[in-house]
Amino acid sequence: MAVDPEFENLVNLYYRDLYRFGFSLTRSEADACDLTQQTFYIWANKGHQLKDLARVKGWLFTTLHREFLQTCRRREWLSDEPISEEAQELPPVPTDVVDRMDTQTMLEALGQIGEGYRAPLVLYYMEDLSYKEIANVLEIPIGTVQSRIARGKMHLCQRLSETK
Amino acid sequence: MNSSEAKKKLLLYRRSIDDGDPQFQGALEHALRDPDLAEWLREQRSSYDAIRSKLCEIEPPSGLAERIIRQRPIPIRRGWPQVLQLAAAIVMLAGIIAVWLNVSHTKEHSLVQGQEIVVKGEVLDMTCYIARNASGPKHAECARECIRKGLPVGIKSEDGRVYLLVGKIKPVNGELADYAAKTVTIRGRETMRDGFVQLQVEEIRKF
Repeated sequence: MAVDPEFENLVNLYYRDLYRFGFSLTRSEADACDLTQQTFYIWANKGHQLKDLARVKGWLFTTLHREFLQTCRRREWLSDEPISEEAQELPPVPTDVVDRMDTQTMLEALGQIGEGYRAPLVLYYMEDLSYKEIANVLEIPIGTVQSRIARGKMHLCQRLSETK
Repeated sequence: MNSSEAKKKLLLYRRSIDDGDPQFQGALEHALRDPDLAEWLREQRSSYDAIRSKLCEIEPPSGLAERIIRQRPIPIRRGWPQVLQLAAAIVMLAGIIAVWLNVSHTKEHSLVQGQEIVVKGEVLDMTCYIARNASGPKHAECARECIRKGLPVGIKSEDGRVYLLVGKIKPVNGELADYAAKTVTIRGRETMRDGFVQLQVEEIRKF
């Protein structure tokens, strides 16, 4: 089968970020690989329908997240209340605490956070997408994205503080 | 804006990617005037950077990109002109089949067992050749893969006639895959049934 240079470039450009996102959601190398492969498989079949090529990255993240949600059997209730005072007063996790941790510990802490908070939080830390793009990827309003990130940060900081 | 309101905004601030976002401008200006808020922001950034760097340490397993590229499906992408061409082709094909059925009723499975012939020409991947008229060096790599995977193989003689190539008791794909889009000479027995011509390969001479 002939190699498609455009497809190859696209894979090389985004597969790492997609894998990181998938791994942060699933904490499983096999599942993250499956999600990443499935995302590009869908792109190969349906990507031509995307008219605005500047939105490729968002399209890929959206697709991976949808695939992830399809594999999730359970859904949880999520609070989308505005950011509270306690979140504002949240003490940041000391840098040296994070530095001493390995990535696995960080992922375990992330894994203890509900999926609805975890996905926006990971996209926030990956710093690849603006808030508007994150909202498009997760298909939720931008205000909801921000409140979930703020709450997710609070939960993560609590988990990380407990591992000190 | 007071410090509390600014903190509420800056809790989500990520530097460069959010620099153009107007929701942070007022809060950032406030941090320039408030040393305590500036210190709080510095600590938040430091913590953010540390967590982000841990996430960036996640590396995909080696070979993942190659696996994805290798397993790419062949997409069927058609615009309107292609759809119209396809529709026209289907109508023409239906007409040909109708004529063929009519002929076959009057002339049941006419078989011509020909004589031994020698054909020199280009090795074709019949699937792509019939579907897309794909042949020649530009299509060599695709043809090689298609033939290797077992799709029908053919030869286009120098006079433009195309033969489907078959072996006597085994496929000839394995022997011909590496000669896709190249010229070979084949000696074999020509057989024609109802207008379709095949060449049962006896000998392949490769150059």
